Amino acid sequence: MATRDSLIQVTDLKKHYNRGAIKALDGVTVDINRGDVMVVIGPSGSGKSTFLRSLNLLEDPTSGSIVFDGVDITKRKYKDSQGKMVKVNIDQHRQKMGMVFQHFNLFPHMTILDNMTLAPIKVKGQDRAAAEEKALALLDRVGLKDRAGAYPIQLSGGQKQRVAIVRALAMEPEVMLFDEPTSALDPEMVGEVLDVMKGLAREGMTMVVVTHEMGFAREVGNRVLFMADGLLLEEGTPQAIFETPQHPRLKDFLSKVL
Amino acid sequence: MFIQMKNFSVVASYAQMFQEGLVVTILLSLFTVVFGFVLALALVLMRMSSFRPFLWLAHVSPGVFGFFERDGSGMKRDSGFVYHLGRFNPLSFLATAYVEILRSTPVLVQIMIIYFGVFQFIDLPSFKLFGFIRFNRFFPGVVALGMNSGAYLCEIIRSGVQSIDGGQSEAARSLGLRQSQNFQYIILPQALKNILPAIANEFVVIIKESAITYTIGVQDIMAAVQAVKGATSIIMEPLLVATALYFCLCFPTSKIIAYFERRMSRGDKR
Ligand SMILES: Nc1ncnc2c1ncn2[C@@H]1O[C@H](COP(=O)(O)OP(=O)(O)OP(=O)(O)O)[C@@H](O)[C@H]1O
Ligand SMILES: [Mg+2]
Repeated sequence: MATRDSLIQVTDLKKHYNRGAIKALDGVTVDINRGDVMVVIGPSGSGKSTFLRSLNLLEDPTSGSIVFDGVDITKRKYKDSQGKMVKVNIDQHRQKMGMVFQHFNLFPHMTILDNMTLAPIKVKGQDRAAAEEKALALLDRVGLKDRAGAYPIQLSGGQKQRVAIVRALAMEPEVMLFDEPTSALDPEMVGEVLDVMKGLAREGMTMVVVTHEMGFAREVGNRVLFMADGLLLEEGTPQAIFETPQHPRLKDFLSKVL
Repeated sequence: MFIQMKNFSVVASYAQMFQEGLVVTILLSLFTVVFGFVLALALVLMRMSSFRPFLWLAHVSPGVFGFFERDGSGMKRDSGFVYHLGRFNPLSFLATAYVEILRSTPVLVQIMIIYFGVFQFIDLPSFKLFGFIRFNRFFPGVVALGMNSGAYLCEIIRSGVQSIDGGQSEAARSLGLRQSQNFQYIILPQALKNILPAIANEFVVIIKESAITYTIGVQDIMAAVQAVKGATSIIMEPLLVATALYFCLCFPTSKIIAYFERRMSRGDKR
């Protein structure tokens, strides 16, 4: 495979709770390249969510580094191109990382359209008309343009998650992080959300996806990470992970989920 | 008989005072709840701020203080003096202290301290609002009651903020909103909707509590009672009139609140 440029370099990332009694992450090192669709699998409590949430610092890592676009976002300051020390502005980096949650987390007091335009207007300073036009185009893409004026409570789970995805896309992120985006959905709605994600992957969006949908991992992922006990135990192509698993924990895990 | 009709006709000649007292009570309560609310918002922001002026101590690295921040294996510490100093937020501490002190002392004492202690040194203009409200008594009354109810409203707002699912903040922050924008656009609007009934109840409490301001010469309903008593030694009849007035203010207000509360919770179950 041709070498692609690296977007996020995670080095020896650790997240401990209760003075080290709980090691949610215990030293994870991985490079995420532009265009990667990286699927993270593993048993419950293995640290998948912690890993994903650390990438945009929703969790503050205990140690290790996360270099995103050349800046170590776990530090308070970094050297810019002119060699000056500047403060790391985490809000600025988060704009470039879209995040989709298991429970959608739409803003219930706002219409779908306002959900989508809030950040572009308030954070990026876009004017309302432009932001709304963009939002409607995105909604159209996921077949929800006619629901722009509705409130989240009026949508089904699958519709909510599709809105959550395009809400993140409205900020034009460089990478999309998904934490079990289909786990809270009724089975008949899983497909519509996965289809949107497949479309994104085809367009070359960089994605990190925590999921229990092994079909998706196999079909769409180009890299699969297997985590257990806060460690990255095995990494490889979907074929390698699913056809020829090496680590006994992975074999055991696959025998249970497949 | 203890309560006599003819005494009511004496009270009736003080009707003007009761009328003005009623207006004063209502205005005093309205101003108090507004002032208290603004103060409460400020207190909530202080309590929830992330102002940590000593945090740099735990971040100087790898300099002199470096060993405070990380242990031998390079892990961030979550114990020890420097860790706790780094997390210390003086704004939050002050706001918490204020709330706890105001909630743990009698309103009467607070009003006396504000009026005789603080406003002793501040020369207020002695004009009359609407021709009958003595500003230099009314204003200290609003300040004292507002300071007190600000402490209670702070706790109400804080509980409202804490009742909002953490996922809301996470979604807002992951979209790049600053903490202040998250509070303004996401958290506060949802929290206020949840606590509107509690705020309205606080308004009823303020109406009742405002009776205490007659002790610093605010001419509210209770001051009218005192005036009748002072001039005629009649006490039960004016008290009954005051009771009726307070009841007519508070009871319908509570009922209206309860009505809206029911309607709003019905809306949520849609
Ligand atoms: N705030 C916290 N305090 C203490 N322990 C925590 C905290 N958050 C997570 N943990 C622990 O860290 C470990 C990893 O949790 P994490 O949520 O990352 O797992 P996961 O792989 O996402 O699991 P699941 O598949 O159930 O979502 C778990 O043992 C969890 O109990
Ligand atoms: Mg998880």
